[in-house]
Amino acid sequence: MITYDDEVVCAPRAGTLYDVLELILDRGMVIDVFVRVSLVGIEILKIDARIVVASVDTYLRFAEACNRLDLEHDVRSKTVPELFGGPVSRTVRKGAQRKAHSLTEKVRDLLTPEETEPEEPEEPPRTREREERGRSPQRSRSRTTARPRGDAEDDDRPRSRRRTEKEDEEE
Amino acid sequence: MPATTTAVDALYVYGIAPAGVRAPRHPGVDGAPVRLLTESGLCAAVSDAPARLRPRRRDLLAHQAVLDELAAQGPLLPMRFAVLSPDPDALLSQLRSDTAHLTRQLDGVRGCVELNVKGAVVPGCFADLVRRDEKLRELAHRTRRRPDYEANVRLGEALARGVRREARRAARDVLAHLTPLALRTVHGTTDDEHVLSTSFLLRSADEGRFRQVVAARARDCGDRLALSVTGPLPCYSFVDPRPAPAGR
Repeated sequence: MITYDDEVVCAPRAGTLYDVLELILDRGMVIDVFVRVSLVGIEILKIDARIVVASVDTYLRFAEACNRLDLEHDVRSKTVPELFGGPVSRTVRKGAQRKAHSLTEKVRDLLTPEETEPEEPEEPPRTREREERGRSPQRSRSRTTARPRGDAEDDDRPRSRRRTEKEDEEE
Repeated sequence: MPATTTAVDALYVYGIAPAGVRAPRHPGVDGAPVRLLTESGLCAAVSDAPARLRPRRRDLLAHQAVLDELAAQGPLLPMRFAVLSPDPDALLSQLRSDTAHLTRQLDGVRGCVELNVKGAVVPGCFADLVRRDEKLRELAHRTRRRPDYEANVRLGEALARGVRREARRAARDVLAHLTPLALRTVHGTTDDEHVLSTSFLLRSADEGRFRQVVAARARDCGDRLALSVTGPLPCYSFVDPRPAPAGR
């Protein structure tokens, strides 16, 4: 996960369940005569775990940071945290935080499917996103046309999850 | 396929250890008590399989906690999450017929731990990138002269490629420092953001030294790559996923 805080970047993080998920699910022994139960929701969860850097939003954020550099005289290496100072970039940054937050909620929801209401955690962020699109027509165009990976997955996720829930109920 | 409804006498299998270990106190998947089934000098940690098994957070944590407790006592072959034996007899006969192979694998991880190191791209050092890369510098100047949407996207994309390249380079450097400290390594999947995901099999005694080297690397490349270490873990990555068929 990306962090803009220098101190956090420098100290190796302690592990969370999230960091060992792929080991618990994909490594370890499987014995032929035993049965591995197929796990609903795991594939979706793994996709969710990846925050997509390669998106137009990120590109624009990077370009903005770069445009604030003094290209002729700046000899000191500036990192992103130093560059995110102005009022414009502060709003951009807030957007990124919100996104990360909603993603965490989704992951938590998937890890404990029966303990949370399926629709609740997803609706608020999606509504906000729609408002944002309305406010900024240029960005909304970029989201639908140029963004290669992120949004397609974003839109797929809740659908496939709801399908999953339904299958479970029908059992 | 939806989650299977399991048979009544099915057992959830956590792992296999040499006979003589204490049964884990931590409750297992679905809160079930964990017990040991012993055969041919080996024992398997099991609990009654839940009626339905799902990848819930608390069940993943229970699987991990039971294995942690066993691993603290000695060598252990951890099972993947959600492995069931149809009944106790099938499990015991597997331990009997595959004793040699399982014992060999236990010897392979004796006195060892797994540490997993991940590295994520840190988008910093833009000034550095622009200064060093002539094409990028040109692009930055051009974008500044004619700042439009397309130009900004192109510039941002080039910067994203740049920070990824820097992070991958740092990841290679980290691997070069850590690999000599490990007995074995297994590389996991990486992508554009998570450019490093490697498990290391270490002698327990080398863990401190390993962590020091990771910390030094993290300080060194923290502006390009965010490192995280998880462990000591049961040796998930260093057991053969499927043992040899019985009789071999």
